[in-house]
Amino acid sequence: MKTMSNKFGFRQHLLALAIAAAFAPAAQAEGDDVAEFTQPSSSVSVGLGGLTGDKKSRSIYGQYNGMRQDDAIGLVDVDVVRRDENTGTWTTIQGSNLGLDNREISVGVEKQGDWKIGVGYDEITHREIRTINTANTGVGTTTPTVIRVATPGTGQDYDLKLRRQGTTLIGEKWLSPSLLFEFNFKNEDKDGARLSGKGYDCANYVCGPTPALTGAASTAYAAANLKNAILMQAEPVNTNTKQLDMKLAYSSEKFNGQIGYYGSVFRNSNGSVNMTLADNFLYGGNGTTLNPLYPAVAGGTSLRNVLQMPFSLPPDNQAHQLFAAGTYAFTKTTKATFKYAFTHATQDDSFAGTGVSAGAPAGVSSLGGELNTNLLQVGVTSKPLPKLTLNANIRYEDKEDKTPKYLYNVENALIWYNADISSKRLNGKLEASYQLPENFRATVGVDYKEIEREVPTNILVDRLAGISVIRAKNEELNYRAELSRMMSETLTGSIGYSTGNRRGSDWTSLSGTTPIYGQVFPSTSFTNANFPLSMADVDREKWKLSANWTPLEKLSIQFIVENGTDKNVTAGSPTSTWGRGFRKNGNQLYSLDLAYGLTDNWELTGFVSMGKQSLDINHSTYMLMLDNESEIVGLGIKGKVTPRIDVGANAVYLNDNTHYGLQATPGSTVANQNQAIVGLPDVSYRQTSLSLYGNYALDKHSNLRLDLIHQDYRLKEWTWSNNGTPFVFSDGTSVTMNPNQHVTFLGLTYIYKWQ
Amino acid sequence: MITKTRKSLLASLMLVGTLFIGTSVYAAEAAKEVAKDIVLKDDAKCTRCHDEADAPELLRIGKTKHGTRADSRTPTCTNCHGDSKAHADHSGATTPPKTDLNFGKKSNAPASARNEACLTCHQKDSSRHLWAGSIHETRDVACTSCHNIHGGHDKVRSKKTQPEVCFTCHKQQRIEANKPSHHPMLEGKVACSDCHNSHGSAGPKLMKRDSVVDTCYTCHMEKRGPFVHNHEPVNEDCGNCHNPHGTTAENLLKVRVPFLCHQCHTPHGGFIPQLRGAQVTAPTAAGNAKGTTNVTQGRACMNCHTQVHGSNNPAATNPTPQFMLR
Repeated sequence: MKTMSNKFGFRQHLLALAIAAAFAPAAQAEGDDVAEFTQPSSSVSVGLGGLTGDKKSRSIYGQYNGMRQDDAIGLVDVDVVRRDENTGTWTTIQGSNLGLDNREISVGVEKQGDWKIGVGYDEITHREIRTINTANTGVGTTTPTVIRVATPGTGQDYDLKLRRQGTTLIGEKWLSPSLLFEFNFKNEDKDGARLSGKGYDCANYVCGPTPALTGAASTAYAAANLKNAILMQAEPVNTNTKQLDMKLAYSSEKFNGQIGYYGSVFRNSNGSVNMTLADNFLYGGNGTTLNPLYPAVAGGTSLRNVLQMPFSLPPDNQAHQLFAAGTYAFTKTTKATFKYAFTHATQDDSFAGTGVSAGAPAGVSSLGGELNTNLLQVGVTSKPLPKLTLNANIRYEDKEDKTPKYLYNVENALIWYNADISSKRLNGKLEASYQLPENFRATVGVDYKEIEREVPTNILVDRLAGISVIRAKNEELNYRAELSRMMSETLTGSIGYSTGNRRGSDWTSLSGTTPIYGQVFPSTSFTNANFPLSMADVDREKWKLSANWTPLEKLSIQFIVENGTDKNVTAGSPTSTWGRGFRKNGNQLYSLDLAYGLTDNWELTGFVSMGKQSLDINHSTYMLMLDNESEIVGLGIKGKVTPRIDVGANAVYLNDNTHYGLQATPGSTVANQNQAIVGLPDVSYRQTSLSLYGNYALDKHSNLRLDLIHQDYRLKEWTWSNNGTPFVFSDGTSVTMNPNQHVTFLGLTYIYKWQ
Repeated sequence: MITKTRKSLLASLMLVGTLFIGTSVYAAEAAKEVAKDIVLKDDAKCTRCHDEADAPELLRIGKTKHGTRADSRTPTCTNCHGDSKAHADHSGATTPPKTDLNFGKKSNAPASARNEACLTCHQKDSSRHLWAGSIHETRDVACTSCHNIHGGHDKVRSKKTQPEVCFTCHKQQRIEANKPSHHPMLEGKVACSDCHNSHGSAGPKLMKRDSVVDTCYTCHMEKRGPFVHNHEPVNEDCGNCHNPHGTTAENLLKVRVPFLCHQCHTPHGGFIPQLRGAQVTAPTAAGNAKGTTNVTQGRACMNCHTQVHGSNNPAATNPTPQFMLR
């Protein structure tokens, strides 16, 4: 008995202690659990990645992501976020892609509601997806030398790239509870080279000879000399931009506004490119005949001289803007917004300093370019009745070109001034929306757009090169209506329609030496004119249908259909002499998205979209009927396999095809009709992406992540090669790209998280 | 006299009783703890139910600026969701009535009412001064259509994940962003908000700056000029020739050259686009360069007319640069 009672007492103690002890651990864990959800988290991830294929197989994949050059890469990301709970001060150190040449890093400190300061560095390299093969030297410099490569493809390969390196400084300070000062300064250097070119087809009045040869002499001369050449010229880039944004923002119950300054400066270390043509003989035609460039002859200049003339690069420029903007609440339901901005933009880069002063008008050392822009925008939105919303907006922009005018332009014996690029734009919008019974909502609106341009008034000294007609003013009016309905909590839909047209002032013909102004179309003055896309009379129409449906708690579906057309109605039939240029275009989009929660731990997403675009252009010798079709399909799944393992997979397939239909104009030559029958192949692009990831939680703070990405690209185009036959520059330079590219990336990353 | 057995029993009862009382005291203490604020000041009214066991994802608001208690401006639950007395005081097994204002997909509050909750504080932000009357506002896009307040990570505020949010409505751009010539959006280096201010703007199409050209110049300032020889469509709108979201043609061109140019410019005489190796008439070395593959392949028109954005070359000697040759 004694033993039993003693044993009983001991067991009770044990049991009691066990019961008492059971709560304590739970109480401690509860605090940690809450902090995990409520406190900012930080992480550092370090890993390694490997890629298959060579540089040419990764040119599309590695265009921007820094993964083209190397087969093995370091994966380093940092995301440190700390918050002082007593002061509300945040400290952040964030870096991504630190092992790649598209890295970025930023450090910031912010006392929330008081001040903020941050500094960042950002880098990105854009790599040309095509490879240049050439024997030229000094590629990508301001003094390249053109050297013929006898057999295309046997020169040296160049992969051009452009690198941007930017540093940013940001800050803000609350000067009072209603006054905030913000600034943002960015400095960016850009260097590298981009694919460009230079060429010329000798006009008699340039290359001569003078007096012009005729008959057999002319034929023999042309047959013995190459009168045209096109060359690859990699444009060297070495520039710097600086941008400063400063604002003082004021807030009160009724008025929220800002005044500010935005300044930007562009500097180019390179002024011009001066090419040297080393060889006397360049390829011609299909490469079976070598001809010397048109030599210098009496009265003319050689083709070599023309091609060796300085090639101007973008000049230094700067712009400064002062602005004010804000919103005023007259009442809770009526508000007005406004913005006024004045911009002073200049370009006065020295011609001599950029190496292009030769031949400049006498006494002119720089363009002295000056553009002053005034912008005013005012908007009002109001709800005069509970179910009625009105919205009106007007925007006026006046760009005044104060650049001095000199006789820069010469074509044979014609001489004229540089063009005036002043313009005035007026945009207006009026919209009304009304809540109808049965959860319908109707919206109607009118949009107005107007642009006024400077057009030559004395064509002898005021011409415009390269176009046949111009228009001083365009006006566009569009009407739209939309009906939407919330059919239930889970189903909403809308249908919208818009129609409009763009018209304008009389046209001015620039095609002859005799000025012709204000002619109303049609007129023989406009025979063979091409009415530019941005000025022609156009009729527009568009409709759109969309629906969002959540039939199940875990399933949501979104559906969109759009259709639009623009038609050039300036001229009559597409092939008439007055119907050149843009004729019509069409745009269609069909899209279906769904998201489905399979279980609490698993989610499935998918989408399919199809877009169609068409474009008809009348060249005069042929009609182009372009049809583009794009389809994209995506499927994704993610979820938790076990409490420690979560996985995901995404697949995306894109197929894009452009068909170039050609139809020779009736009455074309037999050769042209036969060439139109040969036509142009379709250009197609196909991309398949598959990405898989798996995350394994080693413990509460550490994860291991495995990524596997596979991408296939197929780009079939004829720009640089057709069916194995390369397009070759006159010096034998060629440009190639692997049309079928495959790349697989495997990365393993260790992630450490903490709070 | 109390026997040993009874003593033991009494001791056991006392012990059990102590434990029981202790547990009850502890429970009372625990009940008091449940009533404490978890994330925000005065959130106890809500978090007594919506705690880490019930809805941990809601507590992640604590990780964000909205969870910084030291900032006196930081709202609590009821500042956004309303007092919601009926919801908070509900008891029983039935579904409680909704909060005064809710923001989820099934919210029956108009977008303007939901946005008013956010604009109470955020109208002051300079980037939102032109929100009233802007296209997203007039199309009833709610702040929470794009922003995730409770989640701890707001996808739309990160360059890497922002496009995915915008693609929810802007499907055409989702297709275009995958094409070979594109801005590095899917690579996470350029976000939609680098060009667009979705909260309102004085520019067309919610351009961040006052016009399309001014927005493009922020990164492509070399195109600004003005030049001795300007190309006017360039000054009017970069979108005349380019589609910044993505194209199959090089350099983000909407249409391949020469067809792009033929929409405005008269051609160099009669010819049909043709490719090397597929020419009906074999070209000659001294033939017309403007009527052959030179105008179809390579850079097409730009094989010669390279300076398509403008040239600052002032040379008034033939061939002068007004044809953008140099």
